[in-house]
Amino acid sequence: MEPAFKRALKELIHYLDVTACVMKMAVMTVIEYPSNIAGWLISNPLQFIMGFAIIKFVVESFGQISGWNYGQLAFLYGLSVISHALSMIFFVQGWFMGYYVIEGDFDRYLTRPLGVLYQFFFTNINIFGVTDLIPGILVFIYGCVKCGICVTPLFILQVLITLAGATLIRGGIYILLGSTSFHTRSAVDFGQYTQEIMDKTTMYPLSMYPESMQFILTYLIPVGWISFYPASVLLGIDSAYNAMLIPLITLAVGILVMLIAGAYFNMGLRKYESAGN
Amino acid sequence: MIDVQNLSKDYVQKIKEPGLGGALKGLIKPQHKLIHAVRDLSFHIEEGEIVGFIGPNGAGKSTTIKMMSGILTPTEGRVLIDGRDISKYRKEVVRNIGVVFGQRTQLNWDLRLSESFELLKHIYQVEQADYDRTLDELDGILGIKEIIDKPVRQMSLGQRVKGDLVASMIHSPKVLFLDEPTIGLDVSAKYALRKFIKEINRVRKTTVILTTHDLGDIQQLCERIIIINHGVMVEDGNLSQIVDRIAPYKTLVVEYYDEDAPRHPGCEMTEHEGNVAKYRFLKKEITAAEIIADLSEKKAIKDVSIEEAGIDDIIKIAYGE
Repeated sequence: MEPAFKRALKELIHYLDVTACVMKMAVMTVIEYPSNIAGWLISNPLQFIMGFAIIKFVVESFGQISGWNYGQLAFLYGLSVISHALSMIFFVQGWFMGYYVIEGDFDRYLTRPLGVLYQFFFTNINIFGVTDLIPGILVFIYGCVKCGICVTPLFILQVLITLAGATLIRGGIYILLGSTSFHTRSAVDFGQYTQEIMDKTTMYPLSMYPESMQFILTYLIPVGWISFYPASVLLGIDSAYNAMLIPLITLAVGILVMLIAGAYFNMGLRKYESAGN
Repeated sequence: MIDVQNLSKDYVQKIKEPGLGGALKGLIKPQHKLIHAVRDLSFHIEEGEIVGFIGPNGAGKSTTIKMMSGILTPTEGRVLIDGRDISKYRKEVVRNIGVVFGQRTQLNWDLRLSESFELLKHIYQVEQADYDRTLDELDGILGIKEIIDKPVRQMSLGQRVKGDLVASMIHSPKVLFLDEPTIGLDVSAKYALRKFIKEINRVRKTTVILTTHDLGDIQQLCERIIIINHGVMVEDGNLSQIVDRIAPYKTLVVEYYDEDAPRHPGCEMTEHEGNVAKYRFLKKEITAAEIIADLSEKKAIKDVSIEEAGIDDIIKIAYGE
């Protein structure tokens, strides 16, 4: 084995080992406060079930949205909520990055021998995000059934690749927005706005927006790749592209957004000023 | 062990003018001011030293210690720990350092202390046998095992600081940075902390760098002090030598039977109130015994005591008060 490869492997094992430990601690923290679980288990899924009920109402009133029928919309909605939930589990801290910058909470990450972004997200892993995952999966399965999708291993692979890419796109956007705090030195909670915009652009077909908006949401803020384009090919609505190609593009876009976000974050970190005593 | 070379840190600060007019002006044409928090610091610290950083609030102590521990990126200059630049090779170099910042904790608030240690064990890849040995050793100094199963949120400040000290030593770092570690602690917790620092320094040869406002910390721990003011180094050297140089005098306090106090040619009377007179003399020129002998020839003396020029005098002088 080449030494560089060996070193990378060792490092990967190190990160996986820490991740396992952090996950264990996150679960233990949840168990420490059992009353919180009940609250989250009720309020979070309810939010998305309600959202879906509105779609059902709209479709029943108007027949369809932008040429998408009820089952297809459920598929799209479910796909969007699942990647939202995954991003909540792993990347929700990005919403609060400004507070960490102001309070000097990056100090402890900087004095440990691991990546700062990794520690920022993984030592604050949000197990409660699972409560968003449940309604997402339910609605997605419902959509699959309604559309009569034949679940093959290939289909599952395509969905998993899409979800990985979509989660990275969302996470990258949280990091990009959060990292502005290093420059502004103010704590703005971007969560609300981000969630609003992401919900409106990923839970409904992008084709219902004007073309200029579609262009922006595809190339500049690439949220179209989170759910709309993958769902279009997986459902056969858009048959111009290979059904494997689009999920792979989503993954590539996710990695690209993450790389840009990581570079921007590191730029900010050099300007990090900690907090006075 | 540690090499600090021409270290500087500048901050850009927005100038805010008062009132709505000022706010608008700041919005349209923001004015910036460059703050030199630390200017051109250079020094060397050997393995096994305990060095105290002192200086008034806002002097640049914390900024310096944060650059030395890799938290802040220097504007200019560099910090080498064991020969390697910490801001270039952060992940490797920080394996050699431990950090305790007085008001912050790296412990998980919701879980038991042992859980936080467990995570650090994984982060620093410490072998179980080494981990057990370190914990036993530190337990001997701090009695940490009494509180290891206690949730951190239920701990007193003193217990939490003990927890943080052990947490910072789990990977047996060569250098330990402490930023105002005794702040807010009661007497017994301060005692425990100082004992801990002395012990790890003696047994493990750990290099310790601390900032503090507590003169007791300095007197009991530091052979060497570095005084910083306005971001510039004012003094760097052996504590007792600095004291001798900056404050080379002692004060003799004499109590007489009445209010009439004689003068002495070899020293200066600095205070005279009631039956008590204070005489300040240079240690090199005359001894207290000589002065007492001379004075007692002139008048009957009831009582004497000697005030040493202490570190607080040094600080007053060095801070320019």
